[in-house]
Amino acid sequence: MSEPIARRNILVDYRINTTRCELCGKTYFPPKSFCDREGRASKMSQVDYFYKKGSFFSGAAINRSTNKFSHLDSYISAVITFDEASFMVPGRITDYVPPSEKLDVSEFIGKSVIPRFRKTYADGSDGMVYYSSLNFSFEDDYYPYQEYREVKPSEKGDKPGIVGYGVYIPKFRIKNEPESQGVKERALPFADEDTTTFAVEAGKRALLHSGINSRYVKKCFTGSESAPYAVKPMMATVSQALELGEEYDGGYFSGGIDSQFACKAATDLFVDAAALVSYPVFDGEYVMVIGADNSQAAPGDALDYTVGAGGAAYLFGKRDVIATLDCYVPYTSDTPDFYRRQGEKYPKHGGRFTGEPAYFKHVVTAMKAALEKTKLTPKDIQYVVNHSPNARFPYEAAMNVGFSKEQINPSLVVAKIGNLYSGSSPTGLASVLDIAEPGDKILMTSYGSGAGSESYLFTVTDKILEKRTRSIPVKQQVDNPHRQYVSYATYRKWKEMN
Amino acid sequence: MGTLDKATPLAAIVGAGRTKFGELWYTSPEKLLWEAGIQCIESVDHGLGRRDIQACYFGSFLYQVTNKLGLIPGYMSRELGIDVPISMTEAACASGSSALYDAVLGIRSGKYDIVLVGGFEKMTDRYDKIVDDLMFAADPHEFDAGFTFSGLYATMMVRYMHEYGQNDERCRDALAMISCKNHHHAMNNEYAQYRREFSVEDVNRSTLVADPIRLLHCSPISDGAAALVLTTPEKAKKFTDTPIYIIGSEQATADVSLFTRDSLTSIKATRLATSKAFSETGLGIMDIPLAEVHDCFTIEEALFLEDSGFYGKGEGWKGVYSSYESFKGSKHIPYASGHNELIVNAGGGLKADGHPVGATGIRQLFECFKQLRGDAGKNQVSVDGPLNMALCHNIGGTGGIATVHILERNLK
Repeated sequence: MSEPIARRNILVDYRINTTRCELCGKTYFPPKSFCDREGRASKMSQVDYFYKKGSFFSGAAINRSTNKFSHLDSYISAVITFDEASFMVPGRITDYVPPSEKLDVSEFIGKSVIPRFRKTYADGSDGMVYYSSLNFSFEDDYYPYQEYREVKPSEKGDKPGIVGYGVYIPKFRIKNEPESQGVKERALPFADEDTTTFAVEAGKRALLHSGINSRYVKKCFTGSESAPYAVKPMMATVSQALELGEEYDGGYFSGGIDSQFACKAATDLFVDAAALVSYPVFDGEYVMVIGADNSQAAPGDALDYTVGAGGAAYLFGKRDVIATLDCYVPYTSDTPDFYRRQGEKYPKHGGRFTGEPAYFKHVVTAMKAALEKTKLTPKDIQYVVNHSPNARFPYEAAMNVGFSKEQINPSLVVAKIGNLYSGSSPTGLASVLDIAEPGDKILMTSYGSGAGSESYLFTVTDKILEKRTRSIPVKQQVDNPHRQYVSYATYRKWKEMN
Repeated sequence: MGTLDKATPLAAIVGAGRTKFGELWYTSPEKLLWEAGIQCIESVDHGLGRRDIQACYFGSFLYQVTNKLGLIPGYMSRELGIDVPISMTEAACASGSSALYDAVLGIRSGKYDIVLVGGFEKMTDRYDKIVDDLMFAADPHEFDAGFTFSGLYATMMVRYMHEYGQNDERCRDALAMISCKNHHHAMNNEYAQYRREFSVEDVNRSTLVADPIRLLHCSPISDGAAALVLTTPEKAKKFTDTPIYIIGSEQATADVSLFTRDSLTSIKATRLATSKAFSETGLGIMDIPLAEVHDCFTIEEALFLEDSGFYGKGEGWKGVYSSYESFKGSKHIPYASGHNELIVNAGGGLKADGHPVGATGIRQLFECFKQLRGDAGKNQVSVDGPLNMALCHNIGGTGGIATVHILERNLK
């Protein structure tokens, strides 16, 4: 596919853009500039179906695919109806592997499906990667449907902090038998997922949770160490898909960057996000920060038994804040514990060296400094969240500083989803925000190899309760009964497709 | 049923030629078309020379992709050694019949008296990529949804079985019987790609390509070419004592994309082209004893039987099932509706004769030309009374275009 074709497709496919005749109501996909019925009298308006659900009209299980889709083996392609059959779109059913035994596709007719932002395919390893929301998962499966409802923000802003968050953990899992450093099972990407799709999914959920209008998000930071492109920002894809900023001529008045600092690529920008919304020149309401990774590890390496996949997105602003950002303590040293050279596929690491002089030193130093700076003791804090490369490190660091297992345990989702790298501490924080009460204090410490850490102190507000109805809790995803286990061979195969 | 007195001949076929269909790896597309064209010219009973051809109308779908060729008029000028106007038509699987449609207009306009019409395709030169290439005849969104052509037709088949089959196993069997019948019809067709019988069980056990479509529901990947010589009805007898007249030539278009259509269980372009052709000739489907129908996948033949009115909506599979089950003879298996019988795809159709995409629409006319003249040899159909009429139905893509031609041997 050429670049101009890709760009044209992006404008239609990222959000399932249609045009609707304002006179007769007929909806067109792909969009048309006039209505067949009304002709010259047509008055067309744009309507997108990014947040809508459709239903399965018909389809087929493709066993012999085109070459472009051969990486998916067998899958279902379908015709999906929206708005009770007023228009239809073609789509691929995702998060679903047709059974090898006899399948009756007609049993899917009428089932509700949810659009999912997924990879369609890539032009080899050096060509473009194409995405679309014309991929659908069944509503009665892993991924729950959420209706987007814009909520009018409060008139007055106050202290900056988190106004919404969203976590996305993919459906597929691999079991660790035996468990590895406390990690029992791990999430992995489906064959059409990558870090960009995680970022979009997490960001979408943050928008749903906050209820804000995406046009007021003026900056987006996407932190990761598994971006599909070495050069081409994930952030631009996220911005386009989520319509971040005021729209103008197919683009958006928003900025941002992809960032890299091993596993703390996203979290270190929390303070920047909070600072920006307080800075008059910025002149924007919200900043989105996303940490996502299809965490990479060489086959058979120790990390190959702890890495997970997924991401978390946070919206920072000053209105309707659910947790204020009260303290930031960063700590950095040039410590070569884990690294990946340009062009290399897998990271290398110093084995035992990564623990003591790297992770523990940086995490504990930042935690202690934060306590000192805020003049708090562990008893004054309800929850502690530490970057979780495994289930042992964050626990030991918390104990070392004087926290109890009750304070650290709610954030240790790593045991069931693995190390999400840049998404790790943000997901741990989300699992605590899912249960925190107004007034609770949370100490989150992130860690990035190479090496650095930062501690944040958050104080939960009463706004958290009213927004909780719009969240999809981390625990609900971790323990989702529709999660599906795959073999090690499938895990490696899908992981390599990023 | 029509009144049989309105039909006016539009053009006459006085010669027909074709290559064998199959994996013809040893030859190139232009040589295939040359072979069919020369055979066609040579077949004219009272003689015709290459230099008598005043214009050519050719149809093909993928030659630019499969063989990196362009400017077919220039190639064919060289190959045939003539320098007349040559036009190329691309309409996916209906490329051949669309070229024919244009050729009939060329004759009717009075501009030409003798034209050569041809269709060709060379698919096996890109065997490893042809499944992707064929999707040029679908909306790119369908490609990006992972569809293949078999997947698109399987989507129609699922909907058809859901709406009309209602879990009746006989519906599934009927769609297999179409394949069995067409393979049976190809047994005596010397040009056919596959001359082998299959049972309903064979079809239902064959490899799932796009569930519920199996390998034996699908027409094959083929190379081949076919050609016709057309002249005016008035001059036809100069070239042969038994010209076959084209009395209906119609074409209709509809959305290229399956997902923008009102129905997945009917092909609008077929309905429109068929009804226009019947209106043009004053005929009805019950007047037709022989039809070449576009059976790229067996579901498409079932849909034609309904879209043409031979069977009622949703009744096609029942008609197919009872016709196949009750057949006792050994040659061609007709579809029965009341007292009417219709033999479909006497040479095996796309399914068994082969489906070199651009050639198919012309191959259908070749088959009917031979049958109506009684020249089909061992594969000659027999019907009650003289065989005087035939219909050819050719569609492109999943129904973005349909062309219907009605032929008559002895004009009323």
